[in-house]
Amino acid sequence: MELLTLVIILALTLSAGLFIQAWPLRHQPQPSYSQRIPFLGGGTPDTHAWNRYHIRYYPMTLLLIAFEMEMMFMYPWAVVFVEKGMMAVMEMGMFLAILSVGIVYAWREGVFRWQ
Amino acid sequence: MIESLASLLMVLVVLALGPYVVAVMDRLVATAPRGALASDVWLGPLSRAAWLLTQHANATEAPDWQAWRLAPALYLALAAVGLALVPWSPTLIATDLVTSVVLWGSVEALATVVIFLHGWSANAVLPLIGAYRYVALGLSYILISMFVLIGAALPAESLQLTQVVASQESLWNVVRQPLGLPLFLVVGLGLTFWGPLNLADSTDLAGGTAAEVSGPSRLVWECARAVMLVAFSGIAATAFLGGWLGPWLPGPVWVLLKTLFVLALLLWLGQWLPRVAPERCVTLMWIVLLPLSFVDLVWAGVLALWA
Repeated sequence: MELLTLVIILALTLSAGLFIQAWPLRHQPQPSYSQRIPFLGGGTPDTHAWNRYHIRYYPMTLLLIAFEMEMMFMYPWAVVFVEKGMMAVMEMGMFLAILSVGIVYAWREGVFRWQ
Repeated sequence: MIESLASLLMVLVVLALGPYVVAVMDRLVATAPRGALASDVWLGPLSRAAWLLTQHANATEAPDWQAWRLAPALYLALAAVGLALVPWSPTLIATDLVTSVVLWGSVEALATVVIFLHGWSANAVLPLIGAYRYVALGLSYILISMFVLIGAALPAESLQLTQVVASQESLWNVVRQPLGLPLFLVVGLGLTFWGPLNLADSTDLAGGTAAEVSGPSRLVWECARAVMLVAFSGIAATAFLGGWLGPWLPGPVWVLLKTLFVLALLLWLGQWLPRVAPERCVTLMWIVLLPLSFVDLVWAGVLALWA
């Protein structure tokens, strides 16, 4: 029942979002190509914007993956935490401490700073 | 059955009214402290919506059409999923999963994908830069969000939001875990790229991911952002302000009041804080706020064992 309600809400909002965009535009012609040049602060584009583009924070995304794996263990851990007591605290504390060393190392290497 | 229909109706009403309430409150927050109310506080949002709906929409030369139309609609749908998770009373709730905290986490993660898609599909440089900036922000706040929410789940011994509220019967989490709500508010500003964390659609990128978006698509995009802000406020009121708990008034009224309070707080922060630079923002999140969320988790854990 819960999932049915969720699916109904999802379907209704998704279709409403698409309908509001599609319906008022039915009778509009596309603007001319001279008008459709992307805004570049005065210049005109020579190529597609989808060229290779070096984003500077790749190492940060790798650090995130380590923590995301930890989150997978953390959800079931949260449910049994009170039952397991100090053992749960120590286990997750060790896990977090090891990953925190990763943050400190990444910080020293300048992973969070790019220009 | 009746409860399910009532909760479904509740979500749809909040979805319909949310963007208007956010627009009005934002104008009030911006102008009221200066003593001069803007003349178009009440009708301004409506006339802007009507204008966007009838405006002749522009496009770029070679956009990814399907993705460009899908992104605002998907962001709206994600916000609606968030709203469905908010319990209005112990029984009046659209989606009461045992893992609702995990589902909210997936809404936050997928929001990053959808916002990137929005900037990507225009095939223009400025929206693309906004999209890449947003991913840096999104990957930084999501961990803070999860640690803080797991801190709220520890005393409840459950990932179900109704259980999280029930565990706050004696003391609300905002008092029991004082670091939780402030950190979660930062997440809220990031999730909706609002105010100081508006890196995706900022003015220095001429509108960022929405720079080339006009007409009805822009209306859907702005509404989706506003609904996401409301959904986030509802989750924050549930996880930290005791949800439906409170004296005298019925539960749903308390949830509404608390949600409006968090919403007003977020809009006020959005109006009065300056925007942070992307790389400074990432450093701040990983070096300062993430360790603070560890402290919050340890604090919550020790208290949960001690109680």
